[in-house]
Amino acid sequence: MASEKKIFSRRKFLIRGAIVLGGTVVGIYLGKRPIRRFLAQQIEGIEPPAMLSHFQPNFWFEIQPDNTILFKSPKIEMGQGIFTGFAMLAAEELEVSPEQIKVVHADTTSGPMDKVATGGSNSTPSMFVPIRQVAATMREMLCQAAAAQWGVPRSEVKAENGTLQAGARQATYAEIAAATQEWTIPKTPALKPVSEFKYVGKDFKRNDLEAKVFGDPIYGIDATMPGMLYACIIQSPFYRAPLKSAKTSEAASWPGVERIILEKDWIAVVAQTRYAAEAAMLMVEAEWDVGKKYEQEDLIRMVTVGQGKGVNVQEVGSPRRILQVPGGRIFRQEYRTPMAAHAQIEPNGTVAYVEKDKATIIMSTQSPGFVRAQLAASLGMKAKNINLIPAFPGGAFGRRMKTHNAVAAALVSRAMGKPIHAFYTREQEFMYSPCRPNTHHVLQAKIDDNGQIQALHYDLATPDMAIEDNVGSAGIFLAGADIISAGHGAPVIYNIPHKSTDVWHCPYPLDTGIWRSVGMFSNAFAVESFINELARETSQDPIALRIALLKSPEKLHQRYVAVLEKLREVSRWDMPAGEGIGRGVAFGDDRKSIAAAVVEVSLRSSRVKVNKVTMVLDPGLCINPEGIRQQAEGCIMMGISAALYEELKVKGGRIYNTSFQAYPMATLADVPEIEIVLLPGDEVPYGVGEPPLAPIAPAIASAVYDLTGKPQRSLPIRLA
Amino acid sequence: MPIQFILNGRSVSIEADPAMPLLWVLRDILGLKATKYGCGRAQCGACSLHVDGQTQRSCSLPVQLVAGKNVVTLEGLCANRSQPHPVQQAWMEENVPQCGYCQPGFMMAAAAFLEQFPNPTDEDIQQHITNVCRCGTHPRILRAIKRAAALRKNV
Ligand code: FES
Ligand code: FES
Repeated sequence: MASEKKIFSRRKFLIRGAIVLGGTVVGIYLGKRPIRRFLAQQIEGIEPPAMLSHFQPNFWFEIQPDNTILFKSPKIEMGQGIFTGFAMLAAEELEVSPEQIKVVHADTTSGPMDKVATGGSNSTPSMFVPIRQVAATMREMLCQAAAAQWGVPRSEVKAENGTLQAGARQATYAEIAAATQEWTIPKTPALKPVSEFKYVGKDFKRNDLEAKVFGDPIYGIDATMPGMLYACIIQSPFYRAPLKSAKTSEAASWPGVERIILEKDWIAVVAQTRYAAEAAMLMVEAEWDVGKKYEQEDLIRMVTVGQGKGVNVQEVGSPRRILQVPGGRIFRQEYRTPMAAHAQIEPNGTVAYVEKDKATIIMSTQSPGFVRAQLAASLGMKAKNINLIPAFPGGAFGRRMKTHNAVAAALVSRAMGKPIHAFYTREQEFMYSPCRPNTHHVLQAKIDDNGQIQALHYDLATPDMAIEDNVGSAGIFLAGADIISAGHGAPVIYNIPHKSTDVWHCPYPLDTGIWRSVGMFSNAFAVESFINELARETSQDPIALRIALLKSPEKLHQRYVAVLEKLREVSRWDMPAGEGIGRGVAFGDDRKSIAAAVVEVSLRSSRVKVNKVTMVLDPGLCINPEGIRQQAEGCIMMGISAALYEELKVKGGRIYNTSFQAYPMATLADVPEIEIVLLPGDEVPYGVGEPPLAPIAPAIASAVYDLTGKPQRSLPIRLA
Repeated sequence: MPIQFILNGRSVSIEADPAMPLLWVLRDILGLKATKYGCGRAQCGACSLHVDGQTQRSCSLPVQLVAGKNVVTLEGLCANRSQPHPVQQAWMEENVPQCGYCQPGFMMAAAAFLEQFPNPTDEDIQQHITNVCRCGTHPRILRAIKRAAALRKNV
């Protein structure tokens, strides 16, 4: 890609007179460059996103000689459509069409990206203001430069469609940029109000559509380097078990095999082709130093409320006392969710070339900065000498937050003196999966004699998901449990006079990670299922009950109620369900992005079939409704998949259902009728990659309960 | 012995282990990357392509079995980008891909399927196209295949 080369000629580009304009929250790296320092100060005041206090986005625009504008994004386009939304936002202030902006991944030589990760549905919320401020500043600088060149007052210069005009004079941005030696940096212009947006709010197709429809080699696995060898890296199928011994002689003599490298906890089979590496890998007999070999039942037992340590994350009123005192009745239920895999279709891997004092790494990753830091530590090399070039990931869902075999690939490259292409097989993807851990949930409510819910106590038992990656082991010690990721969604949003939530920290013998929607998936399943059961128990309509428990003058609560009321209307909730149809509802607020769904199910040859999903989604300001619908559809399909099919299984200490056949997921045959209604309830955008997932599983469970009369309290739903 | 076949309309001849899967021959020897690896076990369809007009999962197809045959990958589905295949056209009109990784396989499977089922129902599609997508583009794939069926008739 030509754009990647530009990075290296940026300085020259500057000298030629074009402008490069960027912004960063913390301006250390950019200290020497006045334009950027200015912008750093300007953007410093912007609140970093809540989840990532160490967030350091660095991004910029470059005007290209052909008047297109290159936008280097620190955020990864992994399918969620952010590149399209970014182009639309920038276009608003730059006064160009979104098509004129080419969005590419910034690589790590572009700036300080050390801790940037893409996830938590926060790319768009966190970039919403900075992108527009930088774009507006750039437009203003161009206008001023044109005014100076033409000797006209600034007020006479207008920017439109990528050109500058004053009376009869006209020039493209690129022409003005090329002819300008000195730039004046203005105060940040006022941003366009929402009402004046030209593109935001309209449907745009993805700007990576052509590349993806014509099969361009944009993924990590497609990368090549001259003289590249292929490696298959064998890791322990048992979590953290080091290598004890390995028989490799047969593999080593397989045609095409160059070398076999044994390390403390991995083996690399290096060959001239991927085919040879994979074939030889199968001949390696490795023995691992495994301690206890855990079984499925062990994991369930270990993850149970009361095991480990409970950490209180919410306490309103005196719920524990109310639940103890006589009077009224206690309603108590337990729920479980299983271990699950990300199962993104492009396996993880790395193309790495480590030379004497520099390294180049191409990979599909959600956290290039984190990977680079790990590589720097393992290679004993300064991070700045490692260029990590992010590729388009073939799916991520949290799976690409970790380094995977990047370190091994880099060490193999150093040992071989050649570039190395190393990717997991599908079996390895499943086997080494940092899984979504299984969870256990206990909810208790006190219902008074009038059927009112007086108190609710929620216990969540969960292994850590990713808190260590976020705040380190000291952080987990301080927090006491994974209240950030696994606990996401654990505090109860319903206005119950007395309520509390405890998160139990359960030690776990498997690798875990963030899975799309983080803890929200399991927490929403349990809490929303319980609310549905409470509605049954107190003979109330589940939508009416939710509205009653959410009504408040607060803006967020008004949005909640609006979503539920809209859902009641568009799903025709007040009409009886059809013959043989079960119906269920659920609600979710994931970082102020609100989604509620009504699901209709039936039985098809004694299996659950989701016939229809009606969703009302309020993600705040809708930048690209078309992109939002894509994400909502994706969440609906993933929700159906997780609710009906998915479960990783453990036997003898290792994950053993390691193929798409043994780990079935939703297919074309599972597509329901889908109706998505967008109800923008704010002037700022919230995320959409994960929030629509929250209501799907509990709504399905409730619909199956409605249809069969049998409660569904654990996933995946099984009728027998 | 070199193995010869027709690839996207051109004759190619390669030196390789005859048991090497066509997928790796395409990707690693011939440098055509649109055909994807997803499972290597004929279970996901990411590696789908056409051999003599039939969909095959190339990860599990030894290259010797295509000797003398006509292989078409996504790169060869249309002559150039200004004249996309109806399936590609429909895919763009429906804005199908998310991460996009599974899409080449789906498009190849859909193109061959439509030769046999020019007027497909949802059930036909669901029965015959069993590829895996993790991003959840399924609803759009169903729509795009039906749209492609309509586009084909107007060509
Ligand atoms: S890679 Fe061939 S079917 Fe999955
Ligand atoms: S679009 Fe990502 S796997 Fe299908």
